[in-house]
Amino acid sequence: MRILNYLLLLTSISFSAIATENEQAVSSLSRLSQSLQQLNFSTSFVVVKNNHAEPYHWFRGVNEQGTSLEILSLLNGPRRDVLRKGDIVSYIEPELSPYSVIAEHISGPIPAIFGKDITTLEKTYNFVSVGRSRVLGRAAQLVRIVSKDQHRFGHWLWLDQETGLLLKLALVTRKGQLLEQVQFTHLDITEKPSDSLLQLQSAELPQVIEIPKNYQENELAWQVNWLPAGFTQLKANKHRINITNQPVEFMLFSDGLVEVSVYVGASQDKQRVADYVMDGATVVLNQVVNGFEVSVVGKIPASTAKSIADSVVIGMSKRP
Amino acid sequence: MSESKFETVSSLVDSYQQNDSVFDELIKDQQLSDTWDRYHLIGDIIRDEVPSTLTLDLSAEIANAIAEEPTILAPNQSSTFMPKFKAKVVQLIKPVGQMAIAASAAGLMILGVQQNVANNEAVTPSQVVQTVPLGGIADPVSFNFKQTDRMSQKQAYIEQQRRFQALLSDHHQQIKLSAAVESDELPKDKAEELPK
Repeated sequence: MRILNYLLLLTSISFSAIATENEQAVSSLSRLSQSLQQLNFSTSFVVVKNNHAEPYHWFRGVNEQGTSLEILSLLNGPRRDVLRKGDIVSYIEPELSPYSVIAEHISGPIPAIFGKDITTLEKTYNFVSVGRSRVLGRAAQLVRIVSKDQHRFGHWLWLDQETGLLLKLALVTRKGQLLEQVQFTHLDITEKPSDSLLQLQSAELPQVIEIPKNYQENELAWQVNWLPAGFTQLKANKHRINITNQPVEFMLFSDGLVEVSVYVGASQDKQRVADYVMDGATVVLNQVVNGFEVSVVGKIPASTAKSIADSVVIGMSKRP
Repeated sequence: MSESKFETVSSLVDSYQQNDSVFDELIKDQQLSDTWDRYHLIGDIIRDEVPSTLTLDLSAEIANAIAEEPTILAPNQSSTFMPKFKAKVVQLIKPVGQMAIAASAAGLMILGVQQNVANNEAVTPSQVVQTVPLGGIADPVSFNFKQTDRMSQKQAYIEQQRRFQALLSDHHQQIKLSAAVESDELPKDKAEELPK
C-alpha cells in the first residue's frame, strides 16, 4: 500500500517540476565539482558519527604552474595527513611508514566523486534540489543524492550559494535517519593558495610506491553473485589484514559514490551467524559459512551487506 | 450566678454527676472553674493530700509554660506516625518474603535433585553401584562449565570486535590504494612489500 501511495504521489507531481528540480541539482553539483577544482580554499570540518567527532583541516588550491595541491589532516589523536601534489598522493599514518602513490584524488571523508563528473552516478542515483537553508552562516542550497533502489544510503549536500562549495554533508537512511555527517566549521576562499599549500609545493614527498599491474588477481576461487545495480569491481587481490595478520582474498566494488569491500578467508569455526557493527554509516558484517569467513565492509545498509555476503559462492563456477 | 450551678459543681467534684453539658458550661465560665478549683483544693486539704509547698495557681503556671513553648508550624506528626506504619508494612511483607524464599529454595532443591537424577542417569545409565556421591559431582561440574562458557563468550566478543576493527581499517586502506594508478614496471614479488 505504501508503495502504491508513493507511486500515486510521484505521478501526481508534474514531471516538469521534477525535471527542473533535477536540473537544478545537477547544475549545483557540477558547480561544486568546478569550485573544488579551481578555487583556493582552506577549511575545517568535523565528521560526526556514532558518538564521536573527528575534526579535520582541509586545504586545496592550484598554484601558478597549474598544479593542484591539497592537504587533509586529522586534528585529533595521532597524525594522519594526506598530501597531494598533482597526481602524487602521500599518506602519513601512524600504522605505516609514509608512502606515496600515483592517484587522481585523495580518499577521505569527502567522496572523491564530488570533485569529478557527478553525472556518472545518474544511473543509480536521483539528484533532487530540495530547498534553501542557512549553514555556516551562509545561504545554502540543499541537494539530495537519493538512491533509486533501497540498497543504499542517501547523501544530502548543503552547498554554498555564493561559491558552490560544500558546507555540510549528511548520510541518511531511506527513512531519514541520520547516520553520519560532515559539518564544515570554517571556510576561507583566497586569491592565492594558502601558505601551507605553498610549503607543500616545495616539500619532498615520500617515495612513490608503484603498484605493478599483475599485482591484481583476476581470478579468485569465489565470486559475489549479487550486488546492487551500478556496482562494478575495482580490484581483487590476496593480502593479509594488518592487525589480525589473517590471509584473505579480497574484492573491492564501487558504484562511483560508495565502496564495498568483500573479504573471504578460511576460518577455524565451522559456522558463525552473521554479526555486524556500524561505524557511522559504514557497516562491517562478518559471518562464517561452511568454514569460510565472509566479511563485507562499506557505507551500505546492513541488509544490503547481508545479501552481498549471502551471495558469495565459493568455487570456480562462472558468473551466469 | 445561680446557687444551683455551684451545687452542680459540687456534685461534679464529688463525682455524683456525669453530664457532659455541665462540664462544657464549667469550662466556659471562669467563675465556675475557679469554684471547681477551690472545691478540689478544699477536698485535698480535708483528705490531707496537699504537698508541703503549696502552689495555689498550678493551672496558670502550666498555661504560661505552654505560651512560652515555641510554636511548631509543621508538627512532625508524620515522623511519629510513619515508622509505626512502616513497621507494620515490613511486618506484613516479611513473612511473605520469607515464605517466597523458602518456597523458591525448596523449588530449587526439587529442581536440582531432579536434574542430578537426570544427569546421573544420562552419564551412567547402567551402573549398579553408585560410586559418585549424588550431590558431590553435579555442583562443581555445572559451575565450571558455566564459567568457561562465559569466559569464551567474552573472549569471542573481544575477538569479534578486533576482527571488525581490522576489517574496517583494511577497508579504508584498500580504498586508498584503489585510487592508485598501476604500473607494469615492477615484478610481482616486489608487490609483497606494499602496505596492506
